[in-house]
Amino acid sequence: MKLGRSFLATAAALALAAGVAQTPAVAKEKVTVAFIGPLSGGVAANGLGGRNSADLAVKLRNQDENAKYEYELLTLDDECKPNVGVQVATRAAANRDVVAGVTHYCSAVAMGTVDTYNKFGLPVVVWGAVLPDITYANDYPEVHRVNGTMINQNQVAAEFMTDQGYETWVVIHDTTDYGQGHKKYFTESLEKNGGEVLATFGVTADQQDFTAELTQAKSLNPDVIYFGGLTPIGVRIRSQMDKLGIDAQFEGTSGIVSDAYIEGLGELAEGTVAFIEGAPIEKLPGGQYFKEQYDKANYNEPPEAYGAFAFAAMNLVLDKIEEVGPDRRKVRDALNKVEGRDSIVGEITFDDHGQNAVALITKFVVQDGKWVVWEDSEYASGERKLNGM
Amino acid sequence: MDLALLGQYVINGLMLGMMYALVAVGFTLFFGVLDVIKFSHGDVLMVGAFTGYTTFLGLEAAGVHMPVIQIVLLVIASTVLVGLLGAAIAKYLILPLTNAPALNILLATMMLGTVLREAVRLFFPEGSNPKRFPRLLPDTVIPIGGFDLRVDSLMLLIAGVLVIVAIHTVINRTKLGLAIRAVAQDAETARIMGINFELVVLVTFAIGSAAAAVAGVMNGLYYNEINFGMGLLLGVIGFAAAIVGGLGNIYGAILGGFLFAALQTIGAVALPFASAYKDVFAFAVIISIMAWRPTGLIPEKVSERV
Amino acid sequence: MENTQPATAGRQDPTALPIGILAIAGMTVFAAVFLMAESEAAVGGLLAFAAVAVLGAGKLGLLERVRAAFRDHELTMHTAIVIGALAIAWVFREDHFALLMLTMAMLYLTACLGLNVQLGYTGILNFAGSSFLGVGCYTAAVLTQHTAIPPLVILPLGGLMATIVGSVLILPVLRTRGHYAAVVTIAFAVLFKTFLEVNDSLGGPQGLAVGEMTLFGWGFNSNIEIGDFYASFYMNYFLLALVITILAFALTRRIERSWVGLNMDAVRIDELAASCFGINLARWKITAFMLGNFMIGTAGALLGMILGFIAPTNFTFADSLILLSIVLLGGMGSVWGIALASAIIVMLPEKLQLIQEYRFLLFAALVILVLRFRPNGLLPRADRIYFPGWRPR
Repeated sequence: MKLGRSFLATAAALALAAGVAQTPAVAKEKVTVAFIGPLSGGVAANGLGGRNSADLAVKLRNQDENAKYEYELLTLDDECKPNVGVQVATRAAANRDVVAGVTHYCSAVAMGTVDTYNKFGLPVVVWGAVLPDITYANDYPEVHRVNGTMINQNQVAAEFMTDQGYETWVVIHDTTDYGQGHKKYFTESLEKNGGEVLATFGVTADQQDFTAELTQAKSLNPDVIYFGGLTPIGVRIRSQMDKLGIDAQFEGTSGIVSDAYIEGLGELAEGTVAFIEGAPIEKLPGGQYFKEQYDKANYNEPPEAYGAFAFAAMNLVLDKIEEVGPDRRKVRDALNKVEGRDSIVGEITFDDHGQNAVALITKFVVQDGKWVVWEDSEYASGERKLNGM
Repeated sequence: MDLALLGQYVINGLMLGMMYALVAVGFTLFFGVLDVIKFSHGDVLMVGAFTGYTTFLGLEAAGVHMPVIQIVLLVIASTVLVGLLGAAIAKYLILPLTNAPALNILLATMMLGTVLREAVRLFFPEGSNPKRFPRLLPDTVIPIGGFDLRVDSLMLLIAGVLVIVAIHTVINRTKLGLAIRAVAQDAETARIMGINFELVVLVTFAIGSAAAAVAGVMNGLYYNEINFGMGLLLGVIGFAAAIVGGLGNIYGAILGGFLFAALQTIGAVALPFASAYKDVFAFAVIISIMAWRPTGLIPEKVSERV
Repeated sequence: MENTQPATAGRQDPTALPIGILAIAGMTVFAAVFLMAESEAAVGGLLAFAAVAVLGAGKLGLLERVRAAFRDHELTMHTAIVIGALAIAWVFREDHFALLMLTMAMLYLTACLGLNVQLGYTGILNFAGSSFLGVGCYTAAVLTQHTAIPPLVILPLGGLMATIVGSVLILPVLRTRGHYAAVVTIAFAVLFKTFLEVNDSLGGPQGLAVGEMTLFGWGFNSNIEIGDFYASFYMNYFLLALVITILAFALTRRIERSWVGLNMDAVRIDELAASCFGINLARWKITAFMLGNFMIGTAGALLGMILGFIAPTNFTFADSLILLSIVLLGGMGSVWGIALASAIIVMLPEKLQLIQEYRFLLFAALVILVLRFRPNGLLPRADRIYFPGWRPR
């Protein structure tokens, strides 16, 4: 209750401020854009961060007097469940007022919804889901993505970890497409780099007790436990590893890079490594601007790792609507032509599948209760050491 | 399989079984006195864990940092509050419904579980995120051969046994227990004999719910993580355990709890399919047992009134 | 059962039919306005209006006449309701979402009628309703994607599959009673969802895409455009679902009024007495359980095609509870009550989506309140009339 009300209050205050500033101008045509992400459930923190960031992009645009339209944001909750995702995607896409969307953090959901967007002709930009198939397993001109795919992420992850001197792994993954994908690409990359996977375990999303799997893992005595999945299970596995006295290094994927992971574990999170596709945002000039604006808007939740992508995606969509007008087909074609466009997450160029070519992968490690870029950490400088090194 | 590994599995299984048994004992107590199933029991457990967590945060804020004091206060707060919650549920939801079909109570309490779960998710600060439950028990390890026995697991097991023994003693050795058993056997006659029926029911629900609160806190101390959805599956498993053991019988509940944990552990490690199938395996066995022994392993004594 | 027409029933009330038709017209208009309502205030206001209207009509004795109209002019009233449903569909012909809601409500109704045969007539508890719905959906997914079987045939195949899967449970269901029976189906519901999640060959937790319905070469996923006329593609599904619902409804009605229904009622009310009169308990329990699952599975197959994408999270234990709540809220054994409850339970949460996060909480609280204060459901089943149409002269 508290959360909702204060959010509304900020929104109202901003709207009021914008309204006062704009009173003299002629009323602008209203255009609706959609944001879809997981606003409830285990990964809600990431979804809310993305929502706030997209919301920020819309608000900043509405304050801009040169903008041709007044934008309204339709926010929908996909609960990180494919079936719910398809329902809300249908809702957004069937609504003729909605011109374009910034959609999905969860890969499993995005995989289900791309057909819907194609069927209804709604152009969307994916802001967080990392499974390659979302853009590459179809030829839908409606689907684009600003963040990179998990292939690059796992190549870097495998190379980086073998370079540190680790040799054996136990892979645990959730059984969604997200977890399966990570398992597949990581195992492939690891083989190329000479690492060995001793065992692989699939776990379900609402599992609470992992001691049986971890006891088996312990008996294999791996150097690293790799987990392909999202924050809630990540927290449980890391915590139960400690219970069973497993002192292997814990390595995660982009799915656990969230403040909720650290809050859920406290000191145990220390030394966890994970990877995100994209440049370290704080270091880009646009990233500074984003952070300042985000802080100024006083949201209740932090933007989390993918907030900047949601912001960039929404900005891109708004730019295109400004350029070609609020028409789904025109916006779609304009998005397909994006090349070398500057954004706060670096340059955006969509290939013929609508995938942004992101070469850069950022490595993160938890240090003193924060996700720190590897190169800046005391682990890289040798002051601290990862487990087993 | 080497012995150390086996030992580890046994400890894992015992811990799981203890938590299931504590939940199942609650189900069986409620059924005993009122012939009803209170399905919100798993979510009551979750409320217990969150109460404990909140107490801990309060104590930290108040400057109390001694783990021993913290743990005692936390268990007291959690059992008392959740006991009251259990009594309130009995008074305002279950007793008024006792004349309705049994299915209505089952459904009403299932919905109540949803209400509790959603309420914690929505109204607890950042309730949808997993919460870090503090480590208050010593994390020393006793090496036995190649296998490390953790002291905290051992303490939790002993605590669980104590709770069950305490409940058993209350029921079989005290005047209150006599009243509970009288109500369970024949509510009408018990009333005529001057037993305050409603009070007995409320106290029974308070005891059962407090046991769930202990299980919730144990769960938190063991996994060091709690979340709003933790009670759902625990409730279903506890119910299945109580039924398989035989309703209205405390030994049945304990048997059922440990049986289910054993099935899960065996399903995860000893069978030739992927460990993720362990729940499928455990529930399939439960269904077969029900086909074989339709009134549970230790059947309830029923006198069919015609 | 003593309700076999007291003295007044000899004369038919001439005002009954017009009032009955008016009531249906009123409900049609109300449903249309409700579907259009956007704001929370409007939805709340409409609900309050409905409550007042029903109470008022009860006070004026109008409800009694409506009931009489249903009793004496059954065919006319039923036709009027179908016309009403078609009228609503016509109003919303371009609105994808409203049509989807209506179609879902009808499919839930079909599934719940299946549950009603099990629970309402025969007294078999089934906490795995959504699992059998899931069997239908997954059958549709596999068959549309991998075979060339005509989709219309897939619908009964979905039902058949649900029956076959359900037959695993027959032995424990027959042997257990009460809470012990509950645990069998609850365990099955949890088992089924977990199995789908860990079994890769059926898509795992990711789920599966389901192919569209086609009839005589007409793909149901295409919008209807004939000249200037445009209608959402959900109109196709709406019409098909309407046909299926009418069939399911007629079937349940026939069963209820036949000696089959009589036997089932006897089994539910008192097993011991029933078997004393030579009723074969096992036969009727098996019949009811399998027939119910067949209806649920058939509804599931079409549901899968409409959703276009299904995942194990569609078929959780909580979803089974929703199906059961519909039957209980409507009133066990009362087909019209279940129809009303399906409409409420499918539409209301969607309308409450405006207050998104709180909808499950409110929904659960609402069910508790109804169970507490109206334990026999919204429209309790009327006493059996043994000779419909028969009146003392």
